[in-house]
Amino acid sequence: MAIPVDGSAAGPSTSGFTALLDAIRARHFAQLADILDTSELEIAASGASKPQDWPYAVHVLAHVVNHDLNSARFVWKRTPVSVKESSPELVAAWKIVQNMWTHDHAGVYKALKGFDWTELVQPITGAIGDNYSTSMLRLLSTAYSTVSVADASGFLGLSENETVTFLTQQHGWVLDPASQMLTVRPMSTVSNKKTDSSQLQNLTEYVFHLEH
Amino acid sequence: MDVLDQLVTQVQALSGSDQDVAHLYTVLKQADELLHSHATRLGYCLTALNPVKHSLGYLYLLEAHTAGSMSREQSETFLGLASTFLNSCAPEQIRLAADKFNNICRRLKEQAMHLHDPMRAILPLQAAIRKLQPSSEFLTAIHADFLQMCLLSKCYKASLSVLEDDIFEIDQKRTALVPRDFLLYCYYGGMVYIGLKKFSKALEFFQHAITAPTTSLNAITIAAFRKYVLVSLIQNGQVPPFPKYTPAVVLRNLKSCVQDYLDLANLYATRNIADVKRCITTHEDVFKSDNNLGLAKQVIASLYKRNIQRLTQTYLTLSLQDIADTVQLDGQKEAELHILQMIKDGDIFAAINQKDGMVSFQEDPEQYNTCEMTQRLNNEIHHIVRLAKKLTWVDEQVSCDHAYLSKIGRDRPRYEPEDFELVPQKMYTNL
Repeated sequence: MAIPVDGSAAGPSTSGFTALLDAIRARHFAQLADILDTSELEIAASGASKPQDWPYAVHVLAHVVNHDLNSARFVWKRTPVSVKESSPELVAAWKIVQNMWTHDHAGVYKALKGFDWTELVQPITGAIGDNYSTSMLRLLSTAYSTVSVADASGFLGLSENETVTFLTQQHGWVLDPASQMLTVRPMSTVSNKKTDSSQLQNLTEYVFHLEH
Repeated sequence: MDVLDQLVTQVQALSGSDQDVAHLYTVLKQADELLHSHATRLGYCLTALNPVKHSLGYLYLLEAHTAGSMSREQSETFLGLASTFLNSCAPEQIRLAADKFNNICRRLKEQAMHLHDPMRAILPLQAAIRKLQPSSEFLTAIHADFLQMCLLSKCYKASLSVLEDDIFEIDQKRTALVPRDFLLYCYYGGMVYIGLKKFSKALEFFQHAITAPTTSLNAITIAAFRKYVLVSLIQNGQVPPFPKYTPAVVLRNLKSCVQDYLDLANLYATRNIADVKRCITTHEDVFKSDNNLGLAKQVIASLYKRNIQRLTQTYLTLSLQDIADTVQLDGQKEAELHILQMIKDGDIFAAINQKDGMVSFQEDPEQYNTCEMTQRLNNEIHHIVRLAKKLTWVDEQVSCDHAYLSKIGRDRPRYEPEDFELVPQKMYTNL
């Protein structure tokens, strides 16, 4: 999938692509999906069809990295069949969405690792993998009191040995070697409980509202 | 000098001050028939006008020029002209002729559909809504078309820019909309929220379609009610009774039109998965032809969830096998996956002990003392304060209204405030 880096390619999407590359380079993944969605609508409104090199895979993954599987699903649904058939990278990206949708944790990691992503896509899939394993670790530590090593390794996308080392050494979990079960140590979450003076201002406004 | 040339000159001369434009409006209204009879020649006249400066004249000419059927080439040209016009026209001019403006928008929608390219109409229609609206609180006839295009092109997220505006004003005079536009806005809006899995918002939209004042039952209301039943089951586990302000004709006739759906709702109340599944299989054709089969399947999934949720109210700990048996799931693993997903979504609070195959249910750990929670609370209160101000304003308007005052002497108020609760909270105390 070629992306016009220097902005030399013609077409209304060129400026969008430059912004896209900037966003990926700066790892501002939150904007990616918006840039592509807007650019897609602008191209459509001009009556043109999408350029040949439209980054379909990036478009799908941009929504995934924002935890918006629904929108990723709709990008796939509005992609023409001919494109789906001719872009293995898009199909690989869709595989990630499918596995996330069906909560096949091990499948997600397999799909992430199972494709040789292009240079453009790599930072995004990397970020998706990191986000996913972090959220899975959080889920493991809230949802389980004991969990088998095999299941935990599926959740984290690590080998069983790596899983045991990672969880016992970095998170203080305890392994029962006989049953191959890990005892979970809940994560301590630090949350900000301080209030500031603006809070007082708000309260004043509410009381004012209630009395008038 | 040709009569059309004269008109073009007039448009050019009278597009300056508000007074001039108002005068031009009467001129154009009178010339409308003439314009339509010379429809084919207007393409040339349009080139003499500037869509930004001469918006009102441009609108009349474009509307008359494109009133007939179009060839593929013509519709391409029209879409180009109309998109530019809708993006750049002067709002204060086109608001004088909302009906003509709506015609152009509807035609844009039709031609985009004709070319199988609904996505093409999204941005132009969005621009058009903003041009016609005196403020974002006004509903226009373009809203429904805009949402329909978003649905057809599967750009659900794009519709939120318009759908998330709270609508307070439905002004037939200023936006030239008809009841059908309102009903379709509610129906399509509900469908967008189903696609985005925001079910409580979807219910809100469908309920507006069902309770809109009417003297005859219509197809949009029936279609909205079908989805309303399914979404209610998914979201709340039961279908609430109609609010008191539902029109009588809807109350009387609606239920007989959707018997299959009410059968499903009744079975759902028994909480028996097998019965619900059987019911959906028997009525599969109905659900399919109503395009509701996907939703019906989500109803099944929601019943598993609801049955598990009920267990948390009775038990402190329970084995995975017992859960699987009670909820009719295939084995421990399946039950574990369901519970895991519910914990992830924040539906229940529990810890799974794989070693003993047990689940212990817990209380909601939220202490309501974090900054995020205060922030959320603040936002909600702000929202409510804004709404309360709006309500006071409307209340004042109504109490000054002549027709209302002359009637109030004779009639007692028919409704209590709680009749207007969108979702009657007391309904859901027993899940």
